[in-house]
Amino acid sequence: MNILGSPGLGEKGSDNISIPSRRRFLQLAGGIAGAGLVLSACHQRTGPTDIYVGSGDTALLNFLYVLEQMEADFFTKAVTGAYIGISQLEYLALVDMRDQEIAHREYLQGLLGKDAITAIVTNFSGVNFADRTSVLTNASVMEDIVSAGYNAAAGRFQDQSFPQSFCKIASVEGRHASYFRDALSHNNFADSTVVDVNGLSQAPAPSVVLTTAQQFLTTRFDSSNLPN
Amino acid sequence: MDFRNILSDIEKTDPEVFERLSPRRTVLKSFGAKVAVAALPLAIASLFRKAYGKTTTAVTDALNNALELEYMEFNFYHIANNITTVGLIPTADQPGFLTIEAHEKGHINFLKTTITALGATPFKPNYYTDATSTPPYVPKAFDFRASGNPAYAPIFDHVFDDYTTFLVAAQTFEDTHIRAVLGQMPGWAGLPVFAQAQQLLATEGRHAAFVRLIRRNRNAPEQPMPWVSNNIPPLSAVPTSNAILQPFYNGEENTHQGSTAIDQLPGINGTIPSVSASAAFDEPMSQTMVMSLLAPFINP
Repeated sequence: MNILGSPGLGEKGSDNISIPSRRRFLQLAGGIAGAGLVLSACHQRTGPTDIYVGSGDTALLNFLYVLEQMEADFFTKAVTGAYIGISQLEYLALVDMRDQEIAHREYLQGLLGKDAITAIVTNFSGVNFADRTSVLTNASVMEDIVSAGYNAAAGRFQDQSFPQSFCKIASVEGRHASYFRDALSHNNFADSTVVDVNGLSQAPAPSVVLTTAQQFLTTRFDSSNLPN
Repeated sequence: MDFRNILSDIEKTDPEVFERLSPRRTVLKSFGAKVAVAALPLAIASLFRKAYGKTTTAVTDALNNALELEYMEFNFYHIANNITTVGLIPTADQPGFLTIEAHEKGHINFLKTTITALGATPFKPNYYTDATSTPPYVPKAFDFRASGNPAYAPIFDHVFDDYTTFLVAAQTFEDTHIRAVLGQMPGWAGLPVFAQAQQLLATEGRHAAFVRLIRRNRNAPEQPMPWVSNNIPPLSAVPTSNAILQPFYNGEENTHQGSTAIDQLPGINGTIPSVSASAAFDEPMSQTMVMSLLAPFINP
């Protein structure tokens, strides 16, 4: 299963998505240029209750903060109602990952300070936490999304101190993703849907990652100024 | 040398090369025709430097160090998968190690192309042109049994005829590889290669977890998780392995990121346990330390 489009989506895929939106952005900006309202006018809110993630580095940090909130909440629920017949290793893995994702979430919240978005609402209605396959499958999809999310953000920060610390998380998210894929199907820790012919893990555009993550989220986001 | 072929080669690993070089792709396509042949190499180098950002020798030296580690890993898995006595890797685990070997080969190709594009010469292992070599397989360049080192040799002597030993080596190499690339990341800050190196790192994280999980399921004495718990090295039956492999993991127990004490952040019950505060982040290691630890595996 390829969660983020065609294999090797990578840069070309992200261009397909980002260039039209960039053009649209420029048209909008151009239309009101000179009115001194460029920035505020670009907040194309898609719904009245959507959470605006900000722009630039703040948007990227909030984007990662959304992903980590999603994961932390998932593992908290998975540990609390651990499925029937869970092995000792699987339980330890869920507890470890819960605590590691909380660490990432709290770290990001600290970096964001007053710019952090509010707590989000997750939607795990499609997950049966009492069922091993359901938990592992959804965890696997989620970890692939988050791993892609860190790669998506890596080259888009202005302040280079952010990606320098997040690359230390990126390899850990790769470890997490590997674990669930292997637990479901041994040796399938990195197939061609998530790693390309150069051995590079996927790095789609942030907007693509956020759209894919939306399947686990009730909260909707205004990501119109998320670097893409 | 056909400039367009070079570009098309680079495009395979960097689909945005044309956009990096010039927003007007057509200018590039006719580039070769417009520049005098004698001036071409100079013009190309300058073009690439402009496209890939400020490139210094330090940037390409760091990429070459990453390339050297990829050669080492590729040769390690290539021998285990193809050359060594049949039966080292159980059938059930073979597909995974073949995947890892293929990824390491992909990393070699990616790094060689990138280094060339930046105007530098890609690293070649010793014995690259030896008669037994079919690069990237360069068997004489490495001694994975570490037979010349009295401290390492007892631990790694059976690396290619004992699966438990092979797994200890594989875990050590994978975890150290991650630390080595993390150690080089600051040198690539702000360059396109930074994000690509992180994509490589994420893949290495998948490899490391695969090896660790196999060891866990084979009842490795230290009961490893797929991530690094504190600074615990893989234990082998050789009593000295703990002391010899400890330096590969020293520093991994770090619980501080920048000015943030991760183990003081709120967790489920009180603060985040220090083992998770540490495991949530992999930690960099300097090139000097990495190469000194790996030296016994590399033939002079």
